[in-house]
Amino acid sequence: MTAAIVLQVAIGGLLMGLIYALVAAGLSLIFGLMDVVNFAHGELLMLAMYATFTIHQALGLDPLVQLPLIALLLFGAGAAIYRGLIARSLAVRFNTGMVQVFVTFGLSIFLVGAAQLVFGSDFRAISDGVLSNRTVAIGQVVLPLAQVAAGLICLLAFAALVLISRTEFGRALEATREDREAVALIGIDRDKVFSVGWGIGGAAVGIAGVMLSNFYYISPTVGSNFALIAYVTVALGGFGSLPGALIAGVLVGLVEALTALVMDPSLKQVGIFAIYVLVLMFRPRGLFGRL
Amino acid sequence: MRRPGTSNVIIRRRRRELVVGAILLVLFVLLPLPIGNTYLRGLIVLTLLYAGLSQGWNILGGYCGQISLGHALYFGIGAYTSAMLFTVLGVPPTLGMFAGGILAGLAALLVGWPCFRLSGHYYAIATLVVGMTALLLVQNWDFVNAAMGITIPFRADSWSDLEFRVAVLPFHYVMLAYAAVAWLIAWVVEGSRWGFYWRAVKDDATAARSLAVRVFPSKMAAAAISGFITGVGGALYSQYVGFIDPDSTLGLSLSVLIALPAVVGGVGTLWGPLLGAAVLIPVQQLSIAWLGSAGNGIDLMIYGMLIIALALARPQGLVSLLGVRSQAGGEVAESA
Amino acid sequence: MTGFGCRRLAAAAALGAAVWALAMPPGALAEPPDIIIGAVYPLSGNAAPIGHDAQMALETEADIINGHDNIPMLLGQGGGLPRLGGAKIKLVFADSQNNPQIARTETERLITQDHVIAVIGSYTSATAVTISQICNRYQIPYISAENSAPSLNQQGLAWFFRPSPTDNDFSAAMFDFFRGIGKQTGRPVHTVAIIHENSVFGTDSSRIQSGLAAKAGIKVLADISYQASTPSLSVEAERLKAANADVVLPSSYTSDAILLMRAMHDAGYTPKAIVAQDAGFIDPAFLKAVGPLAEGVMTRSSFALDATKTRPAIPKVNALVKAHDDGKDLTDMTAREVTALQVLADAINRAGSTKNTELQAALKVTDIPGNQTIMPWVGIKFDSTGQNTEGNPVIQQYQHGQWHTIFPLDVATAPAIWNVGE
Repeated sequence: MTAAIVLQVAIGGLLMGLIYALVAAGLSLIFGLMDVVNFAHGELLMLAMYATFTIHQALGLDPLVQLPLIALLLFGAGAAIYRGLIARSLAVRFNTGMVQVFVTFGLSIFLVGAAQLVFGSDFRAISDGVLSNRTVAIGQVVLPLAQVAAGLICLLAFAALVLISRTEFGRALEATREDREAVALIGIDRDKVFSVGWGIGGAAVGIAGVMLSNFYYISPTVGSNFALIAYVTVALGGFGSLPGALIAGVLVGLVEALTALVMDPSLKQVGIFAIYVLVLMFRPRGLFGRL
Repeated sequence: MRRPGTSNVIIRRRRRELVVGAILLVLFVLLPLPIGNTYLRGLIVLTLLYAGLSQGWNILGGYCGQISLGHALYFGIGAYTSAMLFTVLGVPPTLGMFAGGILAGLAALLVGWPCFRLSGHYYAIATLVVGMTALLLVQNWDFVNAAMGITIPFRADSWSDLEFRVAVLPFHYVMLAYAAVAWLIAWVVEGSRWGFYWRAVKDDATAARSLAVRVFPSKMAAAAISGFITGVGGALYSQYVGFIDPDSTLGLSLSVLIALPAVVGGVGTLWGPLLGAAVLIPVQQLSIAWLGSAGNGIDLMIYGMLIIALALARPQGLVSLLGVRSQAGGEVAESA
Repeated sequence: MTGFGCRRLAAAAALGAAVWALAMPPGALAEPPDIIIGAVYPLSGNAAPIGHDAQMALETEADIINGHDNIPMLLGQGGGLPRLGGAKIKLVFADSQNNPQIARTETERLITQDHVIAVIGSYTSATAVTISQICNRYQIPYISAENSAPSLNQQGLAWFFRPSPTDNDFSAAMFDFFRGIGKQTGRPVHTVAIIHENSVFGTDSSRIQSGLAAKAGIKVLADISYQASTPSLSVEAERLKAANADVVLPSSYTSDAILLMRAMHDAGYTPKAIVAQDAGFIDPAFLKAVGPLAEGVMTRSSFALDATKTRPAIPKVNALVKAHDDGKDLTDMTAREVTALQVLADAINRAGSTKNTELQAALKVTDIPGNQTIMPWVGIKFDSTGQNTEGNPVIQQYQHGQWHTIFPLDVATAPAIWNVGE
């Protein structure tokens, strides 16, 4: 176990962690807005990956080129889910928390079935993209280009999210989260804010999906491979906190990779869960949670 | 303050519930007799199993407001305990299931103790994590045969061993007893002092804080009872199916399937889990039977749409169709 | 007409009808009833691609038996089952969703409602346990087409029949291959690194391989168990690279196989030899996804697509399967599924009846020579536990976009590209 290997593994874990962070950011945003845990988040990731693959096959567009397109598509999907389902479940008078959980859960099952119907259950992969199968060497550390790019793009997307939160709209988002009822009084259209919030959450996970499709396989159930880690990351970072999602994501990625190095890799998730439990003992609302 | 549950209205309501329960029991005792079809009988067996499991979940999730997404842990503990005792030590499952239930109840206490101070969604995700950790650990635990699972061999028809070659009727009555006892426990708890505390907490968060000291022990009790019921269900499952492995007894989809009937039927109500199970389980199994063989995912789409539709159309649960108001309706619980 | 005349007419008609009926061969008056056979596979969920392929393969074989394709193998001439008056095979499928409880429930439904006379299945071991158990209780034969867990025929079930070799046989074939190629090239295997997913398939297989390695005096430098469907296998690949064993022995499903090959490539590690436990490594989706990275990968296999010289039925059967299943060639899985139905149909035919005890008796004395099938086996003969003792696996290697049999030498169609010790 040389230092080079440990460094290699750590950086690889960090890059993966940035992806987790971006997926978690979308979740955190949505939760922060309206107290809804979107259990269909993994399926939004899956949709983004299938969209990237399909457009790549049909039009030959490289995934990198598709980034803005897929981000827009998933923005629309997120907003549509809000308008079509979540708005309705918010209007419900009883058990709103539970209803939202299970509505998004039903949606996730539905989307997996729909993906199987439309795309079939075979595994797909993109192997001829600009980033595919290439590595970049920094000293002794060799990293897959696709994952480095993914890490960078996710970081940029995070920066964008932070910027958005500083704008007028971002402050409207914040205000709506603080007090849902009062914002109507100052002319903030709650529905519009929520739709855009969901849209941004969708776009974030969409970008992660595009970058993943450069090196990961695509199938109807691929969302579930990332979903659990995403939920743990959000809870670890603190629901509603963007910086929390980033730090938690990176932490999760690192812990996962290093655990796999020193222990049986099949138990690497236990490492993540252990960290999670530890943090929650001392900070029940996650690292940066303020809700 | 008057002792809770002493007003005439409440006494009459509770008596009525017992009467309705008794009538339903008789109906279910008679139900499978005219139905000769093995598959349909099996469907009812599964429905009753989930009605019981979900009622167990409901005690913690519905009445107490602690939404657990990791209840498969208790199911798995019950299943594995009973199966191991039977296959290794020859202990009949009719005893083993209680051992399983007790161990599951203890596990619930262990989980509840640190987790109850987490609020709403944090608690849900914590239970999810606990469940997933258990799955991973058991998959690597050679003592219980790790991922390869445990086969419960069939030797001979026996009531003490809960084994029947092809007869489904005995299992029907076993599961009916299970669901009925789970219901009864929920009925007792609903009318008890604990039930009163939990309703107060759910209706008014400030009251929660002033009652916090007394709420925590009652939540622990709820967890233990809930875990126990779920564990016993797991043991019954392992005898019915004859094979258990980590994926089928500790997975996330099982945790959700345990909670779903209560949510769909009416969380925090007495009849919710039964009603929810009666709708969800047949739909799930029949959509596999009718549509699954085409292998195109339509059965999943229908199942998913049904959950959405029911959650939206009847958020108070299907029981509202029967004019029964939720006794403990309200928000997801804040921290204890 | 007078009463007496009516009676005479009626008598004449009755006599005529009786003579006519006696003169007719049995069953010719009406089509013989279809033979209903059940098949339980994962048709939705993670393993749906495999279940779908299985469905296509079984339907192809049913069409061959019922049709007129005239294929040079047992029951390949078509026209239904001869000893049952040309009765046709009808398959009824059920989705197990890869869940042992659903598998059991669905099998029970097929038996009690569709009245299947036998069940074929089921891809995974967990579902095979519950399906074989419930079949045993109902005294219906279960034909395990491609379940390879050795424990399955040790359950003491009298209604269990498995034409396919087990993981014991598969791993033994690998180590026979190591012995053989070591002698042939003078560059034997000294070390191996095992990497396996952590469910039944991987755990069982690694256990058997470790045991065989110990017996052969080969060092196991690493035994890495990973979580199936994990987001990343880079660390696992790094560990393999660090071990740098002569041979890497993976047991992975398609998705992880793709990830593993890419991760090793990204880590700059090209193992000298990869000998896989089949599964994901032979999936066309895997080959498509990793492209040139698959060159040189070896796998144990129960089927050899290139054994056309000794198995003339292969080209025709392959063409039919391709037509049915989006242009996919026969694979190790689908070939065994075709064969399983063939074995079952042969037993029904020999029994001349659909009665379960007669079917069981016929299955027990099955004796099909290998060249009457598409498999490279010596034949199909069941021992007292229902296990075929004459199914011998081969080792294949992916060379220039095709699978070539490289071992045993008497059935090899291409020399092995063996880089160990170079």
